[in-house]
Amino acid sequence: MICPRCDRDSAYKVVDSPVGEEWSVFICEKCFYTWRSTEDEEITNPEKFDPRFKLTEESFEKMLCIPPIPPLKSGG
Amino acid sequence: MPYTDLREFLSKLEEEGQLIRVKEPVMPEPDLGAIGRAASNMENGPAVLVEKVRGYSQKVVLNVHGSWANHALMFDMPKDTPIKEQFLELSRRWDNFPVPVRYVSSTPVKEVKVTKDINLFELLPLFRINRHDGGFYLSKASVISRDPEDPDNFKKQNVGIYRLQVKGKDLLGIQALPFHDISIHLRKAEERNQPLPVAIAIGNDPVLSFVASTPLGYEESEYELAGALRGEPFEVVKAETSNLDVPAGSEYILEGEILPRRRTPEGPFGEFPGSYSGVRLHAEIKIHTVTHRIDPIFENLYLGLPWTEIDYLQAFNTSIPLYKQIKASMPEVVAVNAMYTHGIGVIISTGCRFGGYGKAVAMRLLSTPHGMPYSKIIIVVDDFVDPFNLEQVMWALTTRVRPDKDVILIPAAPGMPLDPSSEPPGMHTKLIIDATTPVPPDVVSREVELIETPPKTELWEKVLRDLQSKIKGRG
Ligand SMILES: [Zn+2]
Repeated sequence: MICPRCDRDSAYKVVDSPVGEEWSVFICEKCFYTWRSTEDEEITNPEKFDPRFKLTEESFEKMLCIPPIPPLKSGG
Repeated sequence: MPYTDLREFLSKLEEEGQLIRVKEPVMPEPDLGAIGRAASNMENGPAVLVEKVRGYSQKVVLNVHGSWANHALMFDMPKDTPIKEQFLELSRRWDNFPVPVRYVSSTPVKEVKVTKDINLFELLPLFRINRHDGGFYLSKASVISRDPEDPDNFKKQNVGIYRLQVKGKDLLGIQALPFHDISIHLRKAEERNQPLPVAIAIGNDPVLSFVASTPLGYEESEYELAGALRGEPFEVVKAETSNLDVPAGSEYILEGEILPRRRTPEGPFGEFPGSYSGVRLHAEIKIHTVTHRIDPIFENLYLGLPWTEIDYLQAFNTSIPLYKQIKASMPEVVAVNAMYTHGIGVIISTGCRFGGYGKAVAMRLLSTPHGMPYSKIIIVVDDFVDPFNLEQVMWALTTRVRPDKDVILIPAAPGMPLDPSSEPPGMHTKLIIDATTPVPPDVVSREVELIETPPKTELWEKVLRDLQSKIKGRG
């Protein structure tokens, strides 16, 4: 399944509604974008997703790491 | 009497007309976020208990801290207690810190225990808070951790509210900023390539959420501050799988560990300055055990363009530590209102020992750990001006300020990167406005005499209020 935010084929279904057949929730295992089937197309459809919040290869490369990972302490 | 858990507080709110029940089923999106926003838009906004969310069996409660009335009731004061009185009362109770915790052995949060096939999307009625959030967030959960180099030291155990994105069936992302206490625990664990055990408490005594978002010292216990502020020891119970102490009254406890040396995308998330934070690489928490009550209530928080619930929650836990720090060396200070965007805007009320003292008080604020990066606009008013009453503050600005000598800019000072006007991020110019009345040796060129309140005004206020409430009663 295509992730609406990063356009990769890396999304999977994480749950069907526990009560009734109301909706399903999906997650992208690459960028962790999460959405529900009942949300509108600007949220769920890769082609109509709000361009201000799209992620590209470049956005992944530029992501800041917070907090930074410290050097390993050797010995012990 | 303090509340033992969220439910007792919700009953009190309902009794006082400060809790509304929504009984008709609502959609998770956009209804739950909209309800949180709407409740904080209301005057004396109530808590809202949503009894049915489509697709889920659990109830959701929003806006528990979202008004001054609820804030007063949380600390067992009458709901119409003026803001400044709430500030002074809380400040007095703060001096009883620390009050040791009380351990209990059995509590309702242990009624149900899940260790296999954990799916947080089934266990919690999760929802998107703001439209462009990257996912579904726990925005009001307290995260508990211990110092891996000193695991038996109770005082180094930390309780903090950090934003948590649910990123998988048993996976969370956590925003731990470098200046947060949990980041010290995480650094020590990661230097050893060890996981850091954590417990996450959802749905708590409102005082716990208050202290968990208070910037305390590294060796100061949030639980022991909760005991001081509620007037009785805070009750904790041992976690199922670690030596962490968790709140006995919680609705849910998630237990797990921060995976060492791992960062994955998290965000964006609509944050307290009223704008979205970007997508960053954050640490991950793997959940292996969940305990909860039989019929749990999921408490979450809406935050957005101020004012929303978070502004009430952080108002005094930002203001009172600053007040204590300034007052220690400048006893003339009467009150500190640091509730605008987490202390970016501050109003200080003080007596003036000599000319220029108002400016010195502002500079003292700017040398405190929180005031140095956060505070950008500082207004200083006289001791008889209530800094929580913006009409009075505007009066002081309009009648006391001589812009040529009372307005000062300090360029290129430390700043707060989440402030969108901070440029470069992390630096800004400070603005001090001294709106105090000049005292010698400052030049007092024109004597002014204040108009006094007519005698018996207080009595008449009470009489008029009673007459008004009788009219309301008839309607
Ligand atoms: Zn994606």
